[in-house]
Amino acid sequence: MKIKLDHIMPAPLASIEHGKDSIWGNDIELKPGKKILLNASSGKGKSTFTTTIFGLRRDYTGTLSYDDKDTRNLTVDDWTKIRMEQISVVFQDLQLFPKLTVQENLILKNSLTDTFTEKELKTLLERLEIDNKWNQHCGVLSMGQQQRVAIIRALAQPYSWLIMDEPFSHLDEGNTQRCLKMLDERTTDLNASFVLTTLGDHHSFKFDQELNL
Amino acid sequence: MLNKLLFKNQDKKQLVIAIIGALLGITFLITSIHYLIKLNEFGEGADILGPNTIIVQKRVSNSSTLGLTKTDFSLKEMEKMKSKKFIKDVKPVVANNFDVFFRTADSLVPPFSSVVFIQTVDSEFLEIEPEKWNWKLGDEFVPMIMPREFLIMLNTFMSASGIPPISDDLAKDIKFEFKLSNNSNSKKETMKVRIAGFSNEVSSLLVPESFMNYGNNTFSDGSLQKITQVMISGEEGKFGLVEELLEEKGLESKKSQMVVGKLKSIIGTLFGVVLGISIIAVFMSGLVLIQYLQLLMTRNAYEARTLMRMGYHPEKIIKTFFLYFVKIFGFVSILGLLLFIVLKFFLDNAIATGGLGIGTTITYQSIGSLILAYLLFTVTSYRTARKGIFKEY
Repeated sequence: MKIKLDHIMPAPLASIEHGKDSIWGNDIELKPGKKILLNASSGKGKSTFTTTIFGLRRDYTGTLSYDDKDTRNLTVDDWTKIRMEQISVVFQDLQLFPKLTVQENLILKNSLTDTFTEKELKTLLERLEIDNKWNQHCGVLSMGQQQRVAIIRALAQPYSWLIMDEPFSHLDEGNTQRCLKMLDERTTDLNASFVLTTLGDHHSFKFDQELNL
Repeated sequence: MLNKLLFKNQDKKQLVIAIIGALLGITFLITSIHYLIKLNEFGEGADILGPNTIIVQKRVSNSSTLGLTKTDFSLKEMEKMKSKKFIKDVKPVVANNFDVFFRTADSLVPPFSSVVFIQTVDSEFLEIEPEKWNWKLGDEFVPMIMPREFLIMLNTFMSASGIPPISDDLAKDIKFEFKLSNNSNSKKETMKVRIAGFSNEVSSLLVPESFMNYGNNTFSDGSLQKITQVMISGEEGKFGLVEELLEEKGLESKKSQMVVGKLKSIIGTLFGVVLGISIIAVFMSGLVLIQYLQLLMTRNAYEARTLMRMGYHPEKIIKTFFLYFVKIFGFVSILGLLLFIVLKFFLDNAIATGGLGIGTTITYQSIGSLILAYLLFTVTSYRTARKGIFKEY
């Protein structure tokens, strides 16, 4: 799926001056198959980018389109299908359900598309060294552990684009690399793309494209 | 899983309070509607006269005895009464203008005979099958409605003669005769008579209009028939106004007829008030449940929003809330119905002990009101759930 930002300018960022290479106010195309780094300092609109791309906010000028279709014309059914099968997101605030266990959080998402078996979900947790948290409520996990659960949850669906808003902010280097490796493999397997927003850290990964805000 | 996420951590105490409120409202509604209907049905079929129907005559005073005031009704007087909003119909009670001799003609009962007074009323006022209430010249029997007091008198007479008293049904099989004649006794005719029904409210023997016309045309001496009694049919629950009119016009009727009518009017008004309160109670209790739904949705705003971001369709979440509340209200409705049945058992017993014989079957209207309340709640809860979820979309 091709995502095009045609002179998008979110209302909260309209008063800020943006560079010529910024995605805000310019004509930017996110091409399928690319692994993109979105690099920006705090307050430049990384989370705004995530929520705008995901259709959660409409307070912008310009046109956002998926495969040349203006997202303003998408119906509730269209958005549901897109969020279920086309675009997956790791939010900065993770948006897990703290009163549900890790298992329940993952199954709630996975059951929409039956992407993984329970065994496969456990294997993913094992790879990120949190398989022992399967029956624990997410609310009692550390932020780093919750980030890893949120990443696995985002993978538990088919997608064309995976948008991640500072997903490793609470992870040490070892866990970051394990997560990034898993994300890279899954995205490659699906022939999909991802956008990773960071505060400037490349995490020693070779990105296909780098965008600025 | 969705149910666990959305409903597991709710405040159970508030839910129980909302359920109790709705339960009381529903029980109140079914009970009041049931007894309102039963009260309206009270007295129907007990008498051959239609419901809310009375026979009135002018009150006899000293001046009427002296012939200074009239005791008969003019057509104008009847029209005036009929024009009142609370009166459905007014019709004359036509009496015989010839001599009628009534006697038993059955070997099973002892001979009994008496000069009687017969009357006829419009068949619209009678609750009798039309085919049982007609007569034409040549028919084997003249159908007759007998005052129950008359049967009691007959039974007393039979008991005194050493014959067992007879029931209403058996009395209908006894053969009677009318001997019709003119004043000079120069014209005579005997006709077989059979009882078609009994009345507590009419003191004379009632016959079909066609028979009365035949008698008056054949045996009358030609003098003009005066209308001394009229039959008034009042609107349901307006007997207070009918009574006021009777007082105003100097009319009177059998006390028992007025008492039942007044009783029904008073209790009907009281139950109407109770019904009004019940509807308000159901509305309020429904509101409490709907408010609880809104509260639950507000508390689950984050969960609903996140689910939609994960790819859950808003309709699926709406359906989850909707089904949950439909189940709760279904539970409340069934519980309300059971509570009503238990209450009804005690109330019916209390009413029967008090001497009022009202029917014990559950009215369709009370069940209908329950279904209507359920449907209204269903629609409201769906709309509330939909509004709440799309607010988070």
